Amino acid sequence: MSQTTAQTTGHVMGYRLRQKLAKYGAITAINFQNQLAYIWDTLNRSLFIIFIMFIFAQLWQAVYATRTAPEIAGLTLPGIIWYLLVAEMMELGKFRHDLKISEEVKDGSIAYTLVRPYHYLAYHFFNGLGETIVRMALVFGLGLPVVLYYAGRPDLELWQLPPILLVVLGAMLIDFCVLSTIGLLAFFTEDTASFRMIYQKFVFVIGGLMFPIDFLPDWLQWIARLLPFHLTTYAPARLFVDFSWTQFNHFLLLQLVWLGILGTILWVQYRSAARRLAVNGG
Amino acid sequence: MTVIEIDNLQKEFEIKQKAPGLRGSVQAIFRPVKRRVMAVSGISFALDPGEMLAFIGPNGAGKSTTIKMLTGILFPTSGSATVLGFNPWRERRRMAYQIGSVFGQKPQLWYHLPAADTFQLFARIYELEETPFRRRLAFLIEAFQIEDLLQIPVRKLSLGQRMKCEIAASLLHGPRVIFLDEPTIGLDVVAKQQIREAIRTLNAEENTTIFLTSHDAGDIESLCKRVIIINHGRLIFDDRTSVLKRQYLRRKVIDVRFGEALNGPFHLPGVQTLKQGTYGVKLAFDTEELSVDQVIQQIMSGRAFNDINIQDPPLEEIIREIYQE
Repeated sequence: MSQTTAQTTGHVMGYRLRQKLAKYGAITAINFQNQLAYIWDTLNRSLFIIFIMFIFAQLWQAVYATRTAPEIAGLTLPGIIWYLLVAEMMELGKFRHDLKISEEVKDGSIAYTLVRPYHYLAYHFFNGLGETIVRMALVFGLGLPVVLYYAGRPDLELWQLPPILLVVLGAMLIDFCVLSTIGLLAFFTEDTASFRMIYQKFVFVIGGLMFPIDFLPDWLQWIARLLPFHLTTYAPARLFVDFSWTQFNHFLLLQLVWLGILGTILWVQYRSAARRLAVNGG
Repeated sequence: MTVIEIDNLQKEFEIKQKAPGLRGSVQAIFRPVKRRVMAVSGISFALDPGEMLAFIGPNGAGKSTTIKMLTGILFPTSGSATVLGFNPWRERRRMAYQIGSVFGQKPQLWYHLPAADTFQLFARIYELEETPFRRRLAFLIEAFQIEDLLQIPVRKLSLGQRMKCEIAASLLHGPRVIFLDEPTIGLDVVAKQQIREAIRTLNAEENTTIFLTSHDAGDIESLCKRVIIINHGRLIFDDRTSVLKRQYLRRKVIDVRFGEALNGPFHLPGVQTLKQGTYGVKLAFDTEELSVDQVIQQIMSGRAFNDINIQDPPLEEIIREIYQE
């Protein structure tokens, strides 16, 4: 009898799980559809990548030409060009969770998004995911011809993609935690844009967006590796051009640790925001 | 069983104040001046299943604040409330499956996508099975007459068309209570009528409880049997719509058109002449002082008239009268 109960429980749990997956899957899908609905706008915004990659390739060619050694901090010229494409893909593919949440708070539409049967934060992550997938694919696809021309094929095996994608997911989650925390500040302060600016500048310099953090002076590199910014950009890009299981384990572990910390901060912030929620507008 | 029960509900906001100008801005940083505002100060009432309640009051009276507490997005300062047996702010997510809300001034449909896509999304969010969802959708399409609108991107719909889709979206999961916050704001007469008709159908067929706030007297008169009026966060009226009309509806306005031209000014004792033309007059009187019968007899005496029209003042006027007291 207990076996049947267990089976039934298992059955019900499986059913509940499928429903939850369908729910959050649909939330991702609708923003995916939304991006496709005006794909030309998204495409126009992403065209920028062609110019950046062209300029970067020229710039680094010039830098490497002055050197006798083929590598700088373990990266070859093709390596760094591929690195920058992946780093740019991570940055340009980002969803502006901060903007979305603070807008909801300001225009009061949170009155809708908060009273539906899903977890508010999970809703925002999966909603952003739908847009990020489209934008990342576009940035990568548009930058690809330039990179192939200057750097040739990447030094990458197919089996390395799943672990890299896992780190990409970790990067998105960390970014989500930081940006959502910033977005929820809208409950306490009028303008949250400045906080996002600061975060972005950190990602630019010590997160590995402008150049790999290996190029930084030792002391700064030490600080950069201590902070979470490099896990959103540097980690997936570096892994893409120079995969090793040691690196992978290192990044994934660090991501998990930081997700624990940033996730807790976000959670506390969310609880206190919900407590003092004052929906604007009438 | 009651559907909504509110007991001495209060909500106090803290508002930061800033004196005008740069000096005020600097002062506000170091010594913020906070003012406490009672948005809702101790209201109590209960609602039975299938009741249609008009919850009205001027801007800033605390209507929306009350709705937000009942839907669980605002914590009250004190007091208690239950909606369908749930504590709204503690059991918000479980309650969410059974309540629906429409905010007339806030869009929920995805702007660039057809409404059908948002409907699909909501079906997943509310975990609706395919067959009941289809059946429900067919019912709502019929009730709101939105068959031809569902495949068009929302941005291309007119306001009236969009609102019908917005409301239908909030009803997909078959909520037992619906909170409608200004659902007909800015709509033309036809769209308003269609929406009222659909809400009436829903209430008649599914015994859905309706909690409506509106500035539109027509919405209230044509939908709700019961009216609650709040002002400055306090409940000032809670009774049947007809009682409201009887108490504050003592003034009647009569329009008369005569068969022949009037000679000289028209005057009846106790009756105010609002307007006089060659063939017609517009009169007003208090039913406490004169009966309708008496007034009509006086008008009829010795004159032939083509048309007569007796009107109640619009609800807006009644509301204004209560506020003035």
